[in-house]
Amino acid sequence: MNSFLTRYSSTTPEADIRKAKELYGEDEDFSEVMWGSTGGFGNLASGVPMFKLPSVQDPSSFLRMHTDDHADPSCRIKIKHGTTTLAFRFQGGVIVAVDSRATAGSYVASGTVKKVIEINPYLLGTMAGGAADCQYWETYLGIQCRLHELRNRERISVAAASKYLSNLVYSYKGMGLSMGTMICGWDKTGPAIFYVDSDGTRLKGDLFSVGSGSTFAYGVLDQGYRWDLTDEEAQELGRRSIYAAGHRDAFSGNTVNLYHVKQDGWKFIGNYDVSELHYNGPGDVPGATGGGYGYDIRVAGRTSTNAPEGEAGEGQA
Amino acid sequence: MDISFALTGKGYVILASDTTAARSIVKMKVDEDKIKVLSPHLLMAYSGEPGDTVQFAEYIERNIRLYQIRNTYALRPPSAASWIRRTLADSLRSRKPYAVNLLIGGYDTSTHQPHLYWVDYLGTMSEVPFAAHGYGAYFALSLLDREDGLMSGSSYHDPEAPLEEGLKTLRRCLDEVAKRLVVTPEKYKVKVVDKDGVREIEI
Amino acid sequence: MPDGSFAHPQQRQFNPYSDNGGTILAIAGADFTVIAGDTRQSEGYSIQTRYAPKVFRLTDRAVLAVNGFAADGNMFVKKVKQRLEWYRHAHAKDMPLRAIARLIQTMLYAQRFFPYYVYNILGGIEEDGTGAVYSFDPVGSYEREACRAAGAAQSLVQPFLDNQIYFKNQKAAPGTTHPAHLPLSDVLSIVIDSFTSATERHIEVGDGLEIYVVVAQGRSPQGLDAFRGAQELSTQPNGDRMFIIRRELKKD
Repeated sequence: MNSFLTRYSSTTPEADIRKAKELYGEDEDFSEVMWGSTGGFGNLASGVPMFKLPSVQDPSSFLRMHTDDHADPSCRIKIKHGTTTLAFRFQGGVIVAVDSRATAGSYVASGTVKKVIEINPYLLGTMAGGAADCQYWETYLGIQCRLHELRNRERISVAAASKYLSNLVYSYKGMGLSMGTMICGWDKTGPAIFYVDSDGTRLKGDLFSVGSGSTFAYGVLDQGYRWDLTDEEAQELGRRSIYAAGHRDAFSGNTVNLYHVKQDGWKFIGNYDVSELHYNGPGDVPGATGGGYGYDIRVAGRTSTNAPEGEAGEGQA
Repeated sequence: MDISFALTGKGYVILASDTTAARSIVKMKVDEDKIKVLSPHLLMAYSGEPGDTVQFAEYIERNIRLYQIRNTYALRPPSAASWIRRTLADSLRSRKPYAVNLLIGGYDTSTHQPHLYWVDYLGTMSEVPFAAHGYGAYFALSLLDREDGLMSGSSYHDPEAPLEEGLKTLRRCLDEVAKRLVVTPEKYKVKVVDKDGVREIEI
Repeated sequence: MPDGSFAHPQQRQFNPYSDNGGTILAIAGADFTVIAGDTRQSEGYSIQTRYAPKVFRLTDRAVLAVNGFAADGNMFVKKVKQRLEWYRHAHAKDMPLRAIARLIQTMLYAQRFFPYYVYNILGGIEEDGTGAVYSFDPVGSYEREACRAAGAAQSLVQPFLDNQIYFKNQKAAPGTTHPAHLPLSDVLSIVIDSFTSATERHIEVGDGLEIYVVVAQGRSPQGLDAFRGAQELSTQPNGDRMFIIRRELKKD
């Protein structure tokens, strides 16, 4: 919570916290980015500003000029962008499903990205937007959650963890962070999902989908969603929804990663190739109805031709 | 795209706010409460820049509560509104202003007066008998300006209208928005503040 | 104007970045890793030098390949080496590979608002003796993979690697399966073919090729014998072994 913005402003709540910290001599300033011990060697902890900024009038427009590949496809630094993610709450816990494609412009930079970030055995975070932003800050969140456990002898609630992240990214608002994430887990209150994005929005809900393929995922998800889904039905719904996004959205695809969060923590269910799902389906897994998900595969051999009785349809023998 | 309305009547203020939370073309949530209960007789509807809205509203909520804890009594609506406006105005001159529009409705238990304040993100404030933020304003304000009893006999704005009448007037605003605005919210949260305090009303 | 002022409004842009071409690649085997890069450094259509190494030895079992903007890359490697030295002084051992990967993430992310224009590929031997490759984007998102190409000819080389290493779009002969890991000799052939082909079709690739080979402790570097010029870089007689193979690439 030590961004350039809040560091020099005096009217924000963060400024008040900073004043309080100065008063009580608590200083966690240096450790935020370069965590890890140097064992007394080196001088990382000497109060160097943690994020290096270019010496220009407006650092965020400088960053945008060199990194934003939507506005300028020829810009140099292509920051990887993540794409379809979903999570929903139901009777049996939380289902989290994501695709695995990362694109830099129109190039498929990777087809094996882990877009579910395992914060700890009870908390999952999803990745959409800037891959590094999500990976870095959710790892950082994991550290803070562990410290919370050590300090309070109690696991952090999903609400508190997500609020920590939301306040953190809010303090960088306008600087160019890009993330849309769902913090999913199980705490004293049961299963919970919070949507957190880099605008500073934080929403509690039962069902969210984030990324360029989210509209396609919603289409399948909303129609198949019920609170009393069985575990198997729920897993199949998550898988089918990401397949739909992978099929219709060019920026999503490759494979599906599926997780299920229950009372005793999360469990990785499986990795499914989107093309394999299209032609052959997920195979012999719980909840699968059998066969490929693809429309052509599903309707093979069926036709809308409506010839009168006794007369062959056009083009039919 | 947030839409909010408020109106006063005989001894009460009604606040209404849509309940959708959207990101680009997608509704992320359809039951978000965007009206905060600041104190036993004070309500605040907020809308504007995502992130700023909740951060600002929670900051206000906590400081109004802190005042009440320290001083036993809550700030009366005019003082609370002044303080909130000032907070927003100070923020406007800071490195990163809050872009939040507000409707503040309260009931002053000492003077038995309802108060409604329209506040925008620039720190402009005015006390008004009725108010709106967002696209709803373009449809509802003219309707609320209209004199009473010309056509259907009642249900336009009347400062002396009992609560039932006030709710009917609000209904007119919501119906007009539903009829003419291209994208309309499907649900509103409605809260009322009067001498008995704050309560939510299904509409 | 004579007084030093301007008659017209001036516009200036701060552009501290350049692209120096070249390509790097790394492939992990079961108990070895190969990390390679060409040695041409160019800017636009001009070749600045025919020998500018892009692949660097970090520890006895870790090698870092850096591509993109050479000035940023050299600075970054220097800083990584410094952090690794501090680690050695503090803990009297080399930093494990997965820890180096996380270190690189935090070092890149510290420049989130003024990024190093560099694509990093880290290769070496993991603590459990397996070969590993970690690839990074300029601001620190990373992933462990079996193979990765980056730089100017990434889009030429990566599809070839997908086909030859991951057997993408290949069907195994009836009754057989694709091997999970290739032997060192096959991997070296694939690396050399990748670079000779990239040199043919990409103007920013060529001049020289440096191939680092890291072989896990106790494993024989079988397949290396075919390369006469292979030079051993190992510092310990019984540890992991590191070799470098230098080859010529076309210079036109």
